[in-house]
Amino acid sequence: MIWKVIEIHLRRLRHNRVEWLLAFVVPIAFFSIFALIFSRGVGSTPRVKVALVNGAAESAAASEVTDRCQTVLDNLGKNEGLRIIRGSSDGDTVDRSTAEMMVRRGTATIAVVIDQKDEQISAELLNDASDQVASQVVTALVTREIMVGSAPGIPEQVDSSTSAAEPPTSAVKLPSGQSQTGEPTSSSEQAEFAQFVQNVASKPDGTSSPPAPSFVPQAFGPPKIEVVNIIGQGKTNPVISVYAAGIAVMFLLFGATTGGGVLLEERENQTLERLLATHMTMDQLLLGKWFYLTLLGCVQVTVMFVWAQLVFGLNLSEHFDGFAMMTVATASAAASFGLFLATLCRTRGQLGGLSVVAVLTMSALGGSMVPRYVMSESLQRAGLWTFNAWALDGYDKVFWRELPPSELGPQLAVLMVTAFVLLVAARLLAIRWEVA
Amino acid sequence: MKFTLGVPFSGDVLPHQHLRTALISTTPPAVLVKELRKSYAREGGVLPFWNRGSQRHMALDGVSFELRQGERLAYLGPNGAGKTTMIRCLSGRTRPDSGTIELMGQPVDRSSARDTLGLVPQEIALYGDLTTRENLFAFGRFHGLRGSNLAKRVEWALQWTGLADRGDDLVSTFSGGMKRRINLACGVLHQPEVLLLDEPSVGVDPQSRQRIFTMLDQLSERGTSILLTTHHLDEAETQCDRIVIVDRGRVVATGTFDELLRQTIGRDRSVTVRLDRVLRGEGNEPLATCGLTLAVKPGERSISAKVPEIAVGLPRLIDAVGAAGYGVVDVDVQSPSLHHVFLHLTGHELRD
Repeated sequence: MIWKVIEIHLRRLRHNRVEWLLAFVVPIAFFSIFALIFSRGVGSTPRVKVALVNGAAESAAASEVTDRCQTVLDNLGKNEGLRIIRGSSDGDTVDRSTAEMMVRRGTATIAVVIDQKDEQISAELLNDASDQVASQVVTALVTREIMVGSAPGIPEQVDSSTSAAEPPTSAVKLPSGQSQTGEPTSSSEQAEFAQFVQNVASKPDGTSSPPAPSFVPQAFGPPKIEVVNIIGQGKTNPVISVYAAGIAVMFLLFGATTGGGVLLEERENQTLERLLATHMTMDQLLLGKWFYLTLLGCVQVTVMFVWAQLVFGLNLSEHFDGFAMMTVATASAAASFGLFLATLCRTRGQLGGLSVVAVLTMSALGGSMVPRYVMSESLQRAGLWTFNAWALDGYDKVFWRELPPSELGPQLAVLMVTAFVLLVAARLLAIRWEVA
Repeated sequence: MKFTLGVPFSGDVLPHQHLRTALISTTPPAVLVKELRKSYAREGGVLPFWNRGSQRHMALDGVSFELRQGERLAYLGPNGAGKTTMIRCLSGRTRPDSGTIELMGQPVDRSSARDTLGLVPQEIALYGDLTTRENLFAFGRFHGLRGSNLAKRVEWALQWTGLADRGDDLVSTFSGGMKRRINLACGVLHQPEVLLLDEPSVGVDPQSRQRIFTMLDQLSERGTSILLTTHHLDEAETQCDRIVIVDRGRVVATGTFDELLRQTIGRDRSVTVRLDRVLRGEGNEPLATCGLTLAVKPGERSISAKVPEIAVGLPRLIDAVGAAGYGVVDVDVQSPSLHHVFLHLTGHELRD
């Protein structure tokens, strides 16, 4: 008898393609996605988006000082671990206000301002605290470049020791608002200096203290590098808006696909047949469902963010305008997505399998599960094909960067176009149910 | 005597027929179907997708019939005969390849169909997670009713279905018979002149079936023309004015039950006499001379006969059996039924 039960289930499994999909294909697909995200085995390693500022040039310092700063910036520009974000001019550098705006808008993750104070090259890193990796990587690289630049005749042998392949573990973390000072002096102890730079670059992550004194040769002190969090400074729980948005969008998608499944249920039990024999048209039916799913999605996300405000201190009330715009656009896109999937499928079983695959894939690539900044650039680009990524970018602008609603144009446009295109696609697919 | 709605009537005349006799006149038929054809591409065939168009299933192959005003017409056929396709064509839900459909004398289009027709699908096409009243309000609204008229019709439907005390209960909690009644009510809220019923009594107990046909009688009294498909042939025989039998997309017979009998197997009773011993090969002359058409096979223990006048023929048959030296163990007399007509017309081959 027990064997018969097993046999029955095996035979049913053999005939059920959706179950095959869910049992074997989906887990492997997700393992692969997360393996790609965390192993970075595909595409290039994520490069930190950096804006470069020559502080000495802005303060009209002597040309010699400006040149020294520019040399450091030029060396940074050549580093493979950094992606230099340029302004409107042809050069690699931008002015400080532009750099700040780039960081605030998310165009650049961090801005490096190189200047000379007290006859010593120093750096100020204007940081977006949401990316907890970038500041560590850039601090290490800037430290190296300044010290190499301050020690004439030394450096090529160490220049290759740090590369883009190992930035996270070669970082030196400086907490926001803190600074490291030192007195680098020229010395003939090149080997000692080289060892110091190696130590700086290879010091394990997770330490917030400056390089231990034992690493510092007496002849060289670490340069003064100040990390300033221009976004996220003072926020009690900086990641809460990111996760609230990520989870909300993922469940919006699940809710919308479940809601879309009602259409298939109506078709299977002939309610659709009956509805279309009344005054109801397919246009009205789909639009009615779309409005309902959009409204439900808005309420769902609002409840979630209200909870986040009440329990986790998210500042919803101050950003309600941007939140409302993003929520309406995201919910409408999710509603269209749910209807599109429903009209694409023939049965609820198909819809169940397809929606699990589609929603989890979009959520994984789009940043609902892990932040996109930890993904390789190719995966980040792939994520832009999901509207999770655009929605999360929009919420990020609202709650993290605290940008005005006027800055949400690209995200709102992509989401609304997605909503429109998918709704039209659903309508076209539903033609086959109208008159056969 | 049969009783419906407390009104006694004779066994041969159904209650709805009293009123309908006056309505069936020279007025145009409620539904007139002429040479309707509809074919579908076969699914799951072995042909490649670019060649599947050549393999088509003819669901309707030149079907013609009429539903007279006030009439109740049974549209019968084996599985796959094209009954549901016909209902879909009538309700405007599918477009025929050729042929015409007239509704109350006018060519059918979507707007006339939705106002004139009521459709009751075979499945329970309701929202199980809504209450009875909510379902009625929803479908009434979809049919274009609103305001006090809608409320009035919903109250009427609750009374009509006998579910006034269950108006606020979820439909999903109801029995199959109750759901069927609401299913029916949702299709007639807008008082259609023609009602299309696809298997209205499938899967319900005899009491619910009786109740459903009582409800249909009330609609008939108001003049609603009803076309119904069913596999319960006794329902078609006893509850419908006329019958259309289709097979393989074609109409194979049309008429009242009596007309169908005359066209096919006749009105003779089938009599089977079981004997106390097997039939001999000789000495059966009394059976041969009794004046009845008999089936006598030596070695069997029974005799079959077709008897036109049972009161005359049966005694004669029993006398002949006795005269031939056999004893009668049992006698089975069967009146010809729609079941026999149906099998006669459509054969015994399975239509899977």
